[in-house]
Amino acid sequence: MNELFTETILIAVLAATVRIATPLIFAALGELITERAGILNLGVEGTMLMAAFAGFAGSFATGSTWAGLLAAMLAGAMMAFLMVFMAATLKVEQVVTGLALNLLAAGMSLYLFKVYFETQSMPMTEVMPFMPIPYLADIPWLGPIMFQQKGLTYLAFLMVPAVWFFLYRTKWGLEIRVLGENPKVIDTKGMSVTLRQYGAVIMGGVLVGLGGAFVTIGSVVRFVPDITAGRGWLALVIVIAGNWRPSGILLAALVFAFLDALQLQIQGVGVDLPYQIFLALPYVMAVVLMVLKSRGGRSEQPGRLGIPYFRGER
Amino acid sequence: MGIVVEKRLTPSTSWQVASIILALLASGLVSALLLKSAGADLGTAFGALWDGAFGGWRASWKTLVKATPLILTGVAVAVAFRARIWNIGAEGQLFMGAIMSYWVYTLVGTLPPIILIPILFIAGFVGGGLYGGLAGWLKARFQVSEILTTVMLNYVATYFLSFLLIGPWRNPDSFFQQSPPIDRAARLPNLIGGTKLHLGFLVAILAVAVIYVLISRTSLGYEIRAMGMNAKAARFKGINVERTAVIVMLISGGVAGLAGVTEVFGVQGKLKPDISVGFGFTGIIIAVLALLNPIAIIFVAILFGGFVNGGIKLQVATGVPSTLTDAIQAIILLFFLTAAVLARYKFRLGTKDE
Repeated sequence: MNELFTETILIAVLAATVRIATPLIFAALGELITERAGILNLGVEGTMLMAAFAGFAGSFATGSTWAGLLAAMLAGAMMAFLMVFMAATLKVEQVVTGLALNLLAAGMSLYLFKVYFETQSMPMTEVMPFMPIPYLADIPWLGPIMFQQKGLTYLAFLMVPAVWFFLYRTKWGLEIRVLGENPKVIDTKGMSVTLRQYGAVIMGGVLVGLGGAFVTIGSVVRFVPDITAGRGWLALVIVIAGNWRPSGILLAALVFAFLDALQLQIQGVGVDLPYQIFLALPYVMAVVLMVLKSRGGRSEQPGRLGIPYFRGER
Repeated sequence: MGIVVEKRLTPSTSWQVASIILALLASGLVSALLLKSAGADLGTAFGALWDGAFGGWRASWKTLVKATPLILTGVAVAVAFRARIWNIGAEGQLFMGAIMSYWVYTLVGTLPPIILIPILFIAGFVGGGLYGGLAGWLKARFQVSEILTTVMLNYVATYFLSFLLIGPWRNPDSFFQQSPPIDRAARLPNLIGGTKLHLGFLVAILAVAVIYVLISRTSLGYEIRAMGMNAKAARFKGINVERTAVIVMLISGGVAGLAGVTEVFGVQGKLKPDISVGFGFTGIIIAVLALLNPIAIIFVAILFGGFVNGGIKLQVATGVPSTLTDAIQAIILLFFLTAAVLARYKFRLGTKDE
């Protein structure tokens, strides 16, 4: 066990933590904006999966990861559009809609993959390159952990203050937060509730899409069915554990990512424990975190989360 | 004069039924597009789909076999959704039911079938029920969203099964992750000679009947319905909402656990990681399409069982992957949710009376 604690390994684990946190941060921030607007989008997992597939397919078709990234964002936006159309316009039960989106993504991504890609021999795409930041990358410890990552990772971490600024320091952000607490205020001011919900949910979908892109073209050359493996669901837990705040979300995402990085390292060293214990660990931790969260402090959960707004209601 | 749109107090049932038909038709169109894009001949494709599902007695019996776990997971989901408890964990509960019943089998597998088989079903119910009950308890005690806990517990159950199958219950003679085969005597007997339709189908129908009576005729059912309409109001009526939530999750998980028993002891004859290929999730679609009505679930589940077999035939006949049917099932659900909105409104000719 001693070799677990050498400096190189610690740095490697922390660098892996930052990398693994990337899609979780994107997806959780996307869901944060969505939930702040009062819409509970349980389709994060499906949105991410569809975006991961679109990123792979777009990148494969054009040979450019940039095109893949664009395709992933578009897929995220389209899934989010479906969600908000059902939730805000048709006012369908949001829980069921979100689940339907997950099932749709699981079925569609697998079907499209089998039809268009399984015929060729092991289709592969380019993977986004590492982008060490000059000078910063040379700082001892911090450099290899933080500044020898990929472009999307930097973007994810930059999105944390950006989303905070958007939600708490801009007029649009304020309006979105009001939607989640008391949409009638927006309505009585003669402003469109629905329009703002579309904006928030689609913006959130694009962020989730970026998270999906990182899972395929940001990390590996191939697509495999169900490649997101529950990351979207973890993002929902991270939003709760982070108490609906960007900083809390960053912290919660890093905790999950650290656990994951740690289990990869321990598995690599070869500890005599069934590997399934490590694989199940993040999901067990998710339940534990939610229980702990329920006991401490005031919840910032938007009061109108998941409840459709009907004009003229009391 | 013009068309006046008014909101109904309660959704129109006939419209809801019509929405299912509309959703099926619209999904048929989308399927046609997807099939065309994959280069399949539509006539051959739809013919194969029908043949595999309901073309003749043989196919129909097979469809009933496939429908069996879907009826159970559908009813499991429905009883929870009725109370507005979102049990997304039927998949994991099914696995835990399978694990518990297999464990009991390893202990008392030599008992005569007439005693053993009921014990296996009880074990499956207990395994799934405790697992569902855990999520119910977390919700009642800590107000933790059952949606997220049940999803997380699904993953945990999958890994637990995988651990058992490479560890203590591994079949040393097999390359695959699976248990040794189950004794013939312990398997569910066939209902009709020459078919694969097993006792599990009757158990599923029985489960539907019990849940139907439970929801519509018992005081627990009254509590479930009251919670489904308005949890706050239910609390004012003196219903212990927390306690009911735990009981509902115990029952829901238990019924899902029965599906684990039917698949292990009725279909596979061994414990494997793929005893369920998303039956727990398909159960959600089925329950919603059946308007959470237990009796209707039987018919929707049979239709969906047909999709599974039809999809296999489709792949053989046209080369289109059978996973198409998974995508189509989700599309049916989305169309249904959309069409069902219309059931909330009344359309008539005339002028609006204010």
